Amino acid sequence: MRRTPLLAALVLLASPQVRADTVEASSTTFLTVGKDTRFKGGTKPDLVTVAPAFEILSVSARDIQTGFGEVEAVLSTWGSLDLGERRWDSGSDSNFAGDVTTGYLQARMIDRHLLLRVGRSSVPTGIARMIQIDGGYALIDLPAGPIVLKLSGYGGSPTSQRFRDRSGEKSWNPTGGTLAYGARAAAAVPVKGFPGRGLELGAGFNEVLDHSHTAREEVGGDFRLQPLATSDLALAGFGTYSLPDRRVSEASAALSVSATRKLHLTADWRFAEPSLLLSRYSILSVFSASTWNEFGGGVRYAFLRTVTGGFDAHARIEPGLTSGTHTGVDLAFNLDGTFGRTTAGAEVSYLDSVVNGYTGLRVFARRDLGRVFVSGDVLGQFFRKQINGQGGAVTGTLSGGYTLTHGFSAVISGSAGMTPYLEQTFEVMAKLAYNQTYRVQEVR
Amino acid sequence: MNRTLLIAAVLAAAGCSAKIQRPEETRAEPPYVFPHLPHVEGDVACTNCHSSIFGATSLDRNVRHVELITTPSRDKNCKDCHDSDPDIRVPARTSAFRLRFDHKAHLARVKGDCKVCHVKLTEAGDKTASPPPMSACTSCHNHQSDFATARCTPCHVDLKGYLPVNNAFSHQGDWMRVHGQMAKPSAQSCAACHDQTYCAECHAAQTTAALPKVIFPEAVDKSFIHRGDFVSRHQIEASANPASCRTCHGSAFCNACHTVQGVTSSAINVRDPHPKGWATEKGTNHFHGDAARRDILSCAGCHDNGASSTCVGCHQMGGVGGNPHPRAFLRRHDGEEPHNKPMCNICHTHPLP
Repeated sequence: MRRTPLLAALVLLASPQVRADTVEASSTTFLTVGKDTRFKGGTKPDLVTVAPAFEILSVSARDIQTGFGEVEAVLSTWGSLDLGERRWDSGSDSNFAGDVTTGYLQARMIDRHLLLRVGRSSVPTGIARMIQIDGGYALIDLPAGPIVLKLSGYGGSPTSQRFRDRSGEKSWNPTGGTLAYGARAAAAVPVKGFPGRGLELGAGFNEVLDHSHTAREEVGGDFRLQPLATSDLALAGFGTYSLPDRRVSEASAALSVSATRKLHLTADWRFAEPSLLLSRYSILSVFSASTWNEFGGGVRYAFLRTVTGGFDAHARIEPGLTSGTHTGVDLAFNLDGTFGRTTAGAEVSYLDSVVNGYTGLRVFARRDLGRVFVSGDVLGQFFRKQINGQGGAVTGTLSGGYTLTHGFSAVISGSAGMTPYLEQTFEVMAKLAYNQTYRVQEVR
Repeated sequence: MNRTLLIAAVLAAAGCSAKIQRPEETRAEPPYVFPHLPHVEGDVACTNCHSSIFGATSLDRNVRHVELITTPSRDKNCKDCHDSDPDIRVPARTSAFRLRFDHKAHLARVKGDCKVCHVKLTEAGDKTASPPPMSACTSCHNHQSDFATARCTPCHVDLKGYLPVNNAFSHQGDWMRVHGQMAKPSAQSCAACHDQTYCAECHAAQTTAALPKVIFPEAVDKSFIHRGDFVSRHQIEASANPASCRTCHGSAFCNACHTVQGVTSSAINVRDPHPKGWATEKGTNHFHGDAARRDILSCAGCHDNGASSTCVGCHQMGGVGGNPHPRAFLRRHDGEEPHNKPMCNICHTHPLP
């Protein structure tokens, strides 16, 4: 709460004699009306109407040149009013809800060797794993001959919806907790050649406390290697080790390469101990030591100038129902392209897990006709085992839009379907959006 | 809290002399008119026409640094090939360059050899420029170092609209699956193009207004992971890839929906979602102990109540549930921990033997 006046002061202090090269502003107003279920007793859930109206506002100003550095200011916020039954995910006990999705001030100083960020943001670097915090982040890079040393750190309070409760198991934040902090040290070795060629090695720690209790305490490392002078072949990976449990909690590696101009290949491996993703203050965290592995790859090929096909296959080794392991598969095939003013595609997916599985079929298309566009999207999924007595689900969405003047556009959308939980479902949405990019602003 | 910040932002914005990006700034340039290839094959020096480039310290609008020889049939460098004088007029360039570049400084470094960077040249009729590939820049250690620290804007005016093809961060292949792994060591590079509002559309599940598929139903070509009837398949997805859900969602998120659907003990009206024999029928494929060992995160979707939970009643020391810890648990947790950790005291009310 005390940070807001500070942020506001920084916004105003930064204002005199500054110039932002790019200012983007957007506003999205929309209303959706649809059906959902609520269990209020009896033998089956009741059908209710959910009709939230939203207003989403975003303003971002980049490359603001000031006397002390280059500043970026970002604010993305929303408000909503439930006109029917309250949404289950509004995070509010009132029909009104709202939040700041992202809001920060960022400055790059000292010839851009130092980056400072304060506000609500995520920390994507290293083993922090996109933790969203209300706090600060700092990064300094120090050129040292052929290498660049990078030191970064963050600290703050893990974000929770509408500030309701930041404590572990009550928080909507995956890590929970009331205080999070961490740091990373890395060495980058840029090598002459293809853009990005070189090696970056990082090591770091993160700690999340739920009041005085440890929610997460990890050390780990990450790397990225791009070895070749004439290819984008890149290999990246990371691993984390839970100190309280003395076990590897997560690890992954990925390889990406453009074999030819038309052919792109990926391969990846992931490992996780799901119980270590829980707060260390959750008693459930000491009930399991199961491991989960996934490995596979994908291929994308550009058949024609605007048509691309892809196939991805992954195997998953997960614990079996009672003992041993189960090897499941995850397959996906897709084909999409642009034909004049039409974009169209089709996807087939197959997922087999120990508890259930499904086959998914999807087709979509969008046609632009000057200021008008129409789009359609149909997805069917067929379950290996019935869910709620049903073997499948089909949903479809039809949208139409019109580009108005001065950056405004309007969209009307309707969805319908048959699912295991809703024999018939309908949803309509009306949206008015404003998107505008301003350049070379004079801000006083 | 947010009102102050909003007012400050509005005050700052009120001072803007806003200019919307003008359409003419992005309009196409006229096609190129000069046939470079025969001149390169004829080993004609670039400086015959581009002599002023040696003094150029910036890329300026309206300036091409070209001065074609109007009567090549009489010029000593051209007359061996040219019998006549073709009428070629280079149209003025009107668009602003999106790069900052000092030819004067760079030509000194490459000893005047333009081909070090300009590996492909435009030909008559070409509608787009053939600038040097970025690998020409990163063949110098200094610029590769700039790339590694995402110092793009000294050279790039902005990166808006650039597609990251044919470079280290090509968003090709199964990019949705591998982007996180690629971003962890290189988040600075991602931030060069994407501010965090972009990431937050998917990654800020606890503060965002609604799912992307709800806000953007018309964006049919985007890879939204919750498309279609996700409610029905969420248990399959969560079981198949528990770490993926936990990237964005905590236990309370799951429990919020399970509460209104009456399938969690915290609901006012409860319907038991577990199969018959869940509590006691050990050795079957629907025994809760095996399920918890296999997929504890699914349990957490309803029963993650911190140190105290519904499990404690049976599984505390001396309880009918027996020892719930996995094998090798004691190897990693010494006997002193119950004395030091309040969570352990919930079950271990007495010193361990």
